[in-house]
This record gives sequence, C-alpha cells and structure tokens, in this order.
Amino acid sequence: MTTRRVSRRTVLHGAGGVAVGLPLLEEMLVAGTAAKPPARAFNVFFGLGIPAPLQTEGYEGVLEPLRPLADKMLVLRDVDQIRCDEAGINAHFDGSSGAFTAEPPLGEARSGGPSIDQVVRKTFYPEGQPADVVPTLVGGTYFRRSRVCRYVHSYNDDGTAAAAMQEKPRDLFDRVFGAIQLPDGQGNGRRQRMRRSVLDAVVGQYQHFTGPNSPLGARSRARLADHLDRIRELEQRAFEAQPKAAGQPQLPPRSRIAHGGYADPGGEGIDMELAELTSEWRLMADLYALAVEVDRVRFGSVTFLAAGERLRITGDYAYNGRKIFRFDDAGQRKASGAQACSHEWWHDFEPDERNPQLRAHAHMHLREIAYFLRRLDEIRDNNGKSALENSMVTVSTESGDGRHSDVRRELSGVFHAISSAGGRFKTGEIVDVGAEGLDVYNTMLESIGASGRLGPADREFRRIDAILA
Amino acid sequence: MQLLGATSDAGRAEASGRVSNGLVAIYDFRPDGSGLVRDRTLHLEPVDLKVGDPTAVRWTDGALEFTAPTRIRSTDRLAKIANLVRVSGEITVEAWIDLSATDAGQSACILALSNGSDQVNFELRQRGRSYRARFRTSLTARGDGAQLAVAAGESETGATQVVFTRDRTGRSRIFLDGTLSQEGWIPGSASDWEKTTLTLGNGAKGRRPWLGSVHLLAVYGRDLLPAEVARNREAGSQLPPPEATRLSESAVLFETEVAPLLASRCLDCHDSSVRQGGLDLTKRASALEGGDRGNAIKPGDASSSLLWLMVQSGAMPQSRPPLSDPQKQVLRDWIDGGASWTREAIGAAARPRVGSGADSWVRRLTAGEYVETVRAALGVDLSDEARDALPAEVRADGFENTAYNLTVDLAHVEAYAKLAAAAATRAEVGEFVGQGGQLDERWIRAMGRRVLRGPLSEREVGPYRNLADQVGTQGGTVDEAARIVLEAMLQSPRFLYRIEQQRGDGTAWPADAFELASRLSYVVWGGPPDDELAAAAESGSLTAKAEVRRQVRRMLDDHRAVARSLEFIGQWLDVGRLANLQPDRHRFPAWHPGLAVDMRQETLSFFKDLAWHRKRPLHELLNAQFSYLTPRLARHYGLAPAGSGLRRYDLAGVPSRGGLLTQGTLLTVGGDDASMVTRGLFVLHDLLFGEVGSPPPGLDTSPVPASPGRSRRAIAAERVESAACGGCHSRFEPLAYGLEKFDGLGSYQDVDEHGNRLGEDGEVLFPGAAEPVTYDSIGQLMELLAASDRVRQTITRKLAQFAVGRPLAAADEPAIQRIHREAARAGATYRDLVTAIATSELVLEVQTEP
Repeated sequence: MTTRRVSRRTVLHGAGGVAVGLPLLEEMLVAGTAAKPPARAFNVFFGLGIPAPLQTEGYEGVLEPLRPLADKMLVLRDVDQIRCDEAGINAHFDGSSGAFTAEPPLGEARSGGPSIDQVVRKTFYPEGQPADVVPTLVGGTYFRRSRVCRYVHSYNDDGTAAAAMQEKPRDLFDRVFGAIQLPDGQGNGRRQRMRRSVLDAVVGQYQHFTGPNSPLGARSRARLADHLDRIRELEQRAFEAQPKAAGQPQLPPRSRIAHGGYADPGGEGIDMELAELTSEWRLMADLYALAVEVDRVRFGSVTFLAAGERLRITGDYAYNGRKIFRFDDAGQRKASGAQACSHEWWHDFEPDERNPQLRAHAHMHLREIAYFLRRLDEIRDNNGKSALENSMVTVSTESGDGRHSDVRRELSGVFHAISSAGGRFKTGEIVDVGAEGLDVYNTMLESIGASGRLGPADREFRRIDAILA
Repeated sequence: MQLLGATSDAGRAEASGRVSNGLVAIYDFRPDGSGLVRDRTLHLEPVDLKVGDPTAVRWTDGALEFTAPTRIRSTDRLAKIANLVRVSGEITVEAWIDLSATDAGQSACILALSNGSDQVNFELRQRGRSYRARFRTSLTARGDGAQLAVAAGESETGATQVVFTRDRTGRSRIFLDGTLSQEGWIPGSASDWEKTTLTLGNGAKGRRPWLGSVHLLAVYGRDLLPAEVARNREAGSQLPPPEATRLSESAVLFETEVAPLLASRCLDCHDSSVRQGGLDLTKRASALEGGDRGNAIKPGDASSSLLWLMVQSGAMPQSRPPLSDPQKQVLRDWIDGGASWTREAIGAAARPRVGSGADSWVRRLTAGEYVETVRAALGVDLSDEARDALPAEVRADGFENTAYNLTVDLAHVEAYAKLAAAAATRAEVGEFVGQGGQLDERWIRAMGRRVLRGPLSEREVGPYRNLADQVGTQGGTVDEAARIVLEAMLQSPRFLYRIEQQRGDGTAWPADAFELASRLSYVVWGGPPDDELAAAAESGSLTAKAEVRRQVRRMLDDHRAVARSLEFIGQWLDVGRLANLQPDRHRFPAWHPGLAVDMRQETLSFFKDLAWHRKRPLHELLNAQFSYLTPRLARHYGLAPAGSGLRRYDLAGVPSRGGLLTQGTLLTVGGDDASMVTRGLFVLHDLLFGEVGSPPPGLDTSPVPASPGRSRRAIAAERVESAACGGCHSRFEPLAYGLEKFDGLGSYQDVDEHGNRLGEDGEVLFPGAAEPVTYDSIGQLMELLAASDRVRQTITRKLAQFAVGRPLAAADEPAIQRIHREAARAGATYRDLVTAIATSELVLEVQTEP
C-alpha cells in the first residue's frame, strides 16, 4: 500500500489549473500500512488503434510518448485477435470487445467472456475486497457510444459490464470518494437507526435470493449478488464513513465538453478542441490514479476515446515543447460531418505513404495514455516500487489496421503494452510475440497466479515465454 | 437420444402425450428382468427402486402388484427431488394405482418421500377408499409432523390417477382421474428438504404396509396446472415403448445445430439469391436437389452427400475457416439420421446472433417501469425525482430493456433508497394498516401482495414484522411502522426485479400465476398487475389460456397500453437519437433543433393514430398516407402548413411522402451525407431482417462523397455493379435508391447540392428471394415494403424482443412463427401482435436451468 501522502499539487497536475479538491486524504492513507502491495489490475484502452506497420518504427515513431516509460513497460507487437471477429461487423465493435477478453462479443453490451482484470480480481478477492474499496472502477473520456463494448473494458465472467461507466470526472469522483447522505441520515438518531434496520431487512432479502435456496438461475443470482454488494457499499458510505471535516475540498468542476447522447450525434462526430479534450481526460486520469493511490480502487479499466471514435479535432499539438502537428480535421479533409472526423485518417492509411495526420493523432493518443501511466508510476507502494510496476496494467486498443478491409489484417498486430506486474513480465523491450491475444492474456494470468483462464476450455494453451521475466 | 422430459423441445413430450417439463422421476413398472423398478428419466440422474421382498410382489404387464406387505425403496437417496422442491417450493406426485385390499380402519402408505426414517417430507396414504396427502414445510413440526393436506373422495374401479400438487404459495390440490377433488393450503417453505428416499408400498418406518397395484409413478419439481393433470390423465398409465417416445434425432439436430450452422457458415454463398454453384441451401427441396455438381444431400447417407464430402475435406466453406470437428460431426449425424428439415426455409433467423440466447437473466425494472410501478402500487408519482436520481438506461441490442444489460451501480442503490423514502413518506398507508391500527402482520401481507406483486412467504413476512416491531418498541406509531416497512419493500428484490422460478430441470416450465400476471402486465403496460389481474392470478383462473387472452385484451383497452406501445416504437426506431442531431451548420443553415422535436412527435403521433385510433395492421406503418406535422416540419418537408401546432396531414396527394421511411426520424439515419450504405443497411437489418457479410479483403471502404456529375446514387451503383462489392451491396444499397431525393435531414429535392439530378427508382431484393423486384417511385417502394412478409416478420420480431426483454435466439423461431401466423390471422394490428405474444410460450413459460 501507499506510504507517500498525496499532495494537492500532484492531483492538480493534469487539471489544467482547475482547483480540484480532495476529501479525507489523510484518513484514506492511514489504512495503507501493509508491506505488501495489494493485487491490482487495470485495463487501459485507446480508440482507433495503431496500424501495425507504424508499430515497427518503435519509439522513433508514434510510440515516442511511451519512451520515458520504456523501462517500466513491455511493448507487444504482432498480437492476433482474429478470433474476436464477429461476422458482418467491422472491428470497432468486436475488436474493442476483444481487447482484454480475446473473445468475440455476445451482444452490443456483452463481451464474450471476462476481462483479465476481473479474472485477477476473482482470484485474489474471491470473497470481495475491503468495504471501502470500489470493487471495479470503469472510467473514461470518450464520445462515441452506439455500442457499450466500444468504451467499457471490464467484464464479468458472464460478459456483462463489471461496473457502470463513469464518463465525467465529477461522476468518477463521486463514485470513489462521494459520501452518501440518506434522508434523515444525520441529526436524527432514531430515524437513522431505523434506516439502517430497513437496509438490514433489505440485505436479508438479497441474501435469500443469492443463496442456495434461491429460485433464480446462476446469472440472475450473480446479478443480485452484485446488487447486494452495492447495498453494502451504500451502507459503508452512508453510515460508516466519517463525516467531512470543515474545509474539506470540493467536487471537481463540471465537465465542459459534450457527454451522453449529445456527444454522439448519430455517428456524425463532434467538434473538439485538443486542449478541452486533454484537459478533461487528464483530470479523469488524475482522479483515477488518485483512487489507486489511496487504495480505493484495485481493478478496472480506463478509456481514452471509444472504439471508432469520431471527433473533428482542432488545435496545435506539441510534445516535449516540440510542435508535432496542427490538428484541423475538417479543414484538412475538406469535408463535414462524419467525413471530417479524424477517424477517416485511419480509413485512408497507406503503408507506403507518410500518413502525417494519422501519425499525429496516434502519437497524441499515446501521449495521453502515457500521461495516465506516469500518474500510476508516481504512486509509491511500500515495497519501493510504483503502482505501475506492482500492478498488472495492460494497454490495448481495437485494431491493427483501421481500414476495415481485411479482418485478418485489421485484427492482427493489435498494439499491446504491459507493465511488469511485480516483476513477472519483461520490461524495457519491444517484442514481436506472434501469438494470439488469448495466449498472451492467459500467459499473464498464469504468471500472476490467477485461477481462471480465458477462452474455450478445450483449447490448447500456448505459453508465451517471450513476455515472461 | 432421450426419453420423457429430456429436453425443452415440445415435440418430445408430444411423443407420449404426457407433460414432461419439470419431470424429476418417472417409473412405469415395465419389467426388464433386473428386478428393479426403473426410473425412466434420462435428463436427471435416474434412481431406480429395489423391491424389499421379491416374493411379496407380482409383475404384471405394466404394473406391479403388492401381494403381501413389503417395501420398495430407492437404491439411492434422491437429491434431485429435494433439490428442485427446495428451491421451487412446488411438487406434483402422480400415482396410477389399483386398490386390491382396503381396510377402512387402517391407514396405509402408498408412497413416502423421507429425509430418513424419522423425517417424512411427503406421504400419500390410503384409508378405505379415500386418499390423504401430507407435505412437510417449515411451518409443520419436525419429524412426523407433516401437515395434513386434504382428503379425497371415492375412486372408481380400475387404475386410478391420483395427483397431488402444491404450488409455492401453499395452494395444494388432489386430483382424481384428472378432476380436481380437493383443495387446501399448506403454508411454509420446503427449504430444509434434504436428499430424499422414495418408499413405495409402505411408510418410511415400515409400519403402514399397503396392498394394491401401481401402474405409473411420476414426481415433478413443480405444480402441474389442472389442464396438465388432465392431459396426463388422457395419456393414460402406460408409457409408450421407448422407441415411440423418441423424437427424430435428426429433426432435433436440425433445429438446434444444423440450421444455425448452415445459416452462419453456408448461406452467404448458397442462399436463394447468390446460389453459388447453383446450390440453394435455404429450403429442403433445393438443398436436396443440389447444384451444378449434383445432389448435395442424400438423406441417410452422408458418405454419398456432396455437402458432407465437401465439408469433410475442407473444400467448403470456400476461402473461409473450415468447420470444427464437432460441427462436422453434427452435419454427418444429421444426414445419416435422415436429414430432417423442420422449417420452410432457413435464413438470418437461424443464424446464431450477437446477443442471442434465451439466457435467464432476472429483469430489473427499467427507470420507466420503476416509476410506473410505484405509481400503480401506491399512487405516488416519482417521475421527477427518478429522472434526476436514476441512471439512464443504456441501449443494447436495439432496446433499453435488454435484461442482461440492466446492471446495477451504486448510483442505482442510492437512488432506490432515497426514492423509497420519498414514496413511503407520500404514500397513503391507511388502507393497509386497517382497523384498530394494530401492529399485526395482516397489513404486512396486504401491503406485500400489492407492492411486491404477489403473496409473501413466511420467510418474507418475518423480517418485515420485525422491522415494524422495532418501530413500535422505539415509540413509533403504526403509521410510521407501515412507512418503514414500505420503504424496505420498495428496495427489496421482489420489487426492483421480476423474480421468477428459474431453477428447474433445464426445460421450460409454465409461469406461476403471479409470475404470469407480472409478465402480462409488464408486456402490455410496462407496469404491475392491477387488482383484476392479480385476482385472476389469485383465483387460479390464469391457468386457462382463454383467461390470459381475455385479460390481455382488457388491458389493451387501458391508456397504459398506448404509452407502452409508444415506448416500443420509440426504442425500436431510436427516436431519442433525434435530440442529439448536430448537422453541419454550413451545409444546413436552415436547421433548427426544434425540427428534431417535431420529427419525434411526427413518428410517435403517426404510430399512435395508426395503431390505436385506426387500428390498422402495423405493416401499414410503411405506406400509410398521412402524418402529423408542425408548420415548421411541414415547411421542412416542402409542404404548405395547414395550421398551427401538430396536425394531421393527408398525404394521399403527396407522392414523395407517406410511411415511416419518408419521415425525418428515419431519413436522418444516413447522416449529413444521406449515406446510401447506412440507409440501405437500416432497411435490410431493421425492416427486412436480413444480413450481409463483411467487406472482402483488400477493399478501401472509405465513403466516397458526391461531386458534380456523380451523385450518391451513381456512386452506389458503381459499388453494386463492381465484382468486388456487388455481391453484398446489391442486397442493400438499391433499397435506398428510392430515398435519394431526401437529403440527410429529410428535405425533398430533385437536384443535389452539386447539380446532379436525383432519382427514386430502384429494386428490392428481399432476403431469401431469388430475383429482385423493381420499383419506379418512392410510393411503389413503400407499397412493396408494406406488402412484404419480411417486413411483417420483422415487426413481429421487434415487438417480441421488446416484450421478452432479450434478443431472440434461433430456438425462439418456432414460437415466433406461431405468433406471426396467429397475429396475421387476427389482423396484424398492434393489439393482435401483443395478444399473440402474450399468449405464446415466450410469455407463458419460464425457461429453467438445472
């Protein structure tokens, strides 16, 4: 667990100067006294992908933003996800669903199996995590939402989303840190006692319907068990968390960019200034990392742009003080609506050409992913390593070629990068694994001691030694 | 190969005429030389019976006679009976017996189910010429304190069918020869039933010997409905010989394995329109006939069937991954078994689909259903608070009520707690508390029956009573206690979810009366049963299909049914999408966000008029010659406004308009560029229930914008005529040709922004058809679509999916076809469709899991 206290400055790092308050940090950090870091696993997704030919350029190309973290990460090329193909649907949906699950989807909001973070969670916390830990945190900055699998990247064994998406920094903040005040919960002892009794009675009902004599089938019992966990979380927040002290920090500011259905007008895309996009994303990334730092979150996923994201981005893009590009998707494409979105640069990709716009966008995507990874790397656990090093962090995306022209190519060479997970995996290299994502994921799960495996039970497992330390 | 009760396939039960769903054990006393009484169930582990003293019995043809006192006991304890009864709280024991010796003074035990020798769970006894059944519950004394249920009347000579049933509410019945003879109540649960020993011809302790003959003994883990008891009576006491009960394995394979396999792996190249190699595998006749290379299938002989040979060698599917070994084996078994073909044609419906599967997911009330349920149960309108507090539902697989996606977050639970407190504060609880305001449990039961949509069990009453007692001991009033109990009920799974008996034997069981009442009310109203429907459930009358139909028709006369139908059409066509339209302001400077509101109103009002005021068949949604427009929308459509506000417009004289596809709601699906691909795919997927494959390898799929001299239609035609694209694009892009004159926002024009002249002629290749049908105008296209059974089938499927709250699976296809035919015969209106769905097995039955 953590030993270093979080400074406000750290949290404000990515918030673009917006004052973000933090609740009860000292109190949260008191719990972090164990010498051994908790088991943690996070899936980090970014939309649109990196065409496989560009990955071969290593850190000299679009992977450049990952160079500062090179000794903490292992970049995996030539990872094949063809089995995730769902006939008749391009890879935005099924490639996205296959990230971290390696299985084709079972529905628009249902993956073909559990995601790797959830397999680890079930292994290490079969009876649940401590009461003040959010079981799974799913957050992200994204806009396209026609199918849930485009943006949610943590899934239960039955393929349903492991947690609801928190798409605004304020929502994520509330989900992790928010206190709950039930009616009459404060200042009326008798009413508060009664309200607790009400929840006790309710809990008893849920226990029956999740127990051995429940009339419900397995999936339904799991659904109600999830509901029961949320009730217990409610109880903890409403009755056991300490009241706020005077002068406690405030909620993050309201989001200034589009959310909900308005962010996805029928797949036509929306206009977006780069600074607005990255400011919100970094605030989201900061808050997520903070939740990890104070040990409120151990599992989940974070998404930077949905699969098949459609944005018309404008603004100067610089990296390390060096101007990389000037984004002006609509102007450069001389189009409007969906045709003017940066998404189209992926459709236009030509391996033999320079593809400057795609390169710039992909570079920017990885700069933002690296931002989140750095936040994790700044968290020091008691063993002297960072949360990035101690956790199983997996970065992936939707495709290895965004042209929708060939499933074999589109779902092959899907970019991956993984952290060392406590020294289990190599770092500091770029490896051409030449293997199915299923074998990569299962190698990771095996190495970390997870009890579950992904994919068909009768499939022969191929261990990928190239990733093992 | 399986026998009685082996699968959910109705055809298997038909073979014997007996009810098979929920069957746990069945003994027909047919001697096989082993001396054992064989359990004829195969889907659950059979447990045979052993005769204690073989000299005390005599085997006859199809019966076993007890000639002297002895016991016949199960060779192993039957966990399967206790497992089912414990979770269902239900049981049916059916015995066909002759009484050869009766002693009016002696109570003899025909059969017993016991945990051991001292704990009897169930007994069927005979005394004189009457029968008594005892069933042990949590409320009866432990040991031999089983609750006396009912006494029965006189039996006739010969084999008598004696049936005891108990449902989960405690309603218990004895039927003699198919007729209800006695009814009573045995409250409590069977939660502590354990592995059960079945004893025949004596009590568990061996003190109540019985003499007579047994012809048939069956135990079900659910209560059979009266009609089912009568059906078993009709079937008689003799099971058909095993071979007669066997369904054609080939037919079963076809339904469950082969049709989905052919649909997903073969029809892309071998359907009626493509017919590569001259082979059409969609219909039996054409499949048997084969293609250019001869017979594809020779029933009974896979080794002489080209289909098998090509698949076996890996030559087919061509240029695609071969079938797996298990898939190949299925195909071979099916052909060798006779190549049964149970459908007129196979197509997209048979394809295993994303999101398909009749998985049993408990259904959480959607936000809208929650509000309506609170309003109906308590008269409290929480719509404003719920809108703020409850997370919005997320659309999945076409609808927002897809059960698997109705997950729960902390925000839900917090909202439920706060909304429950608000509702409890505002509810009128006086009617529940009743006279004297006493803290007894009668009002808890009354409140539970209303709020939780059915009677409470003893297990449920206790905690609520304790809660009320706590209020009392802390000085609270009865009124306060009632509100606290109500608050707890409103957060309980019985309220927030539609709890059903999902555990069973893997077959579909008839929904319990209260389950069925809720199913019906949520299908028709999106809310809970009203008093009349609840009373029908209470009385048991809902077990009759005619009563179900009557109730559904009654409910369809209620305004809530209209609201529910608008929810359906709104979700199907995703009218909520309109609120998010943000067309390019340079290309569409005249766009006003209010137009999106008008378009939504147009579609909903149009549907309401057609479905409810005119009561027209729903396929007329495609070609009805009227609509509802505001002046602003009328101008947008190029029509002269007829007055202020939303008004009905007669479109008979407007050739460009008429029907859903000419409304802004659907014309905007193609985006600013009015994409023919997107529009065509919408028609193919959402109106014609068709599918196309992925683009072929190596193709640049970037949309090509229109330009001077090159209209969208011309670009689409290039794709259709291209060798690389035409195979698939010819299936859907021509469907959008007729809409070319509508721009991305639904305005009508003859010339596009580049000066290209636009057309409205085209052709429709209906999925499954061999040849396309041409049309010359928008009106003709709408007429073709309205007349198409594919469109009508799609409407049936969409409404059925919305009703059951899950994507349809290939296994639903027989039910869908029955619904479709029944609704079509009745007139194909919304009412007809809902009635057919509500009276189908999709609603009447609950799929259980073992």
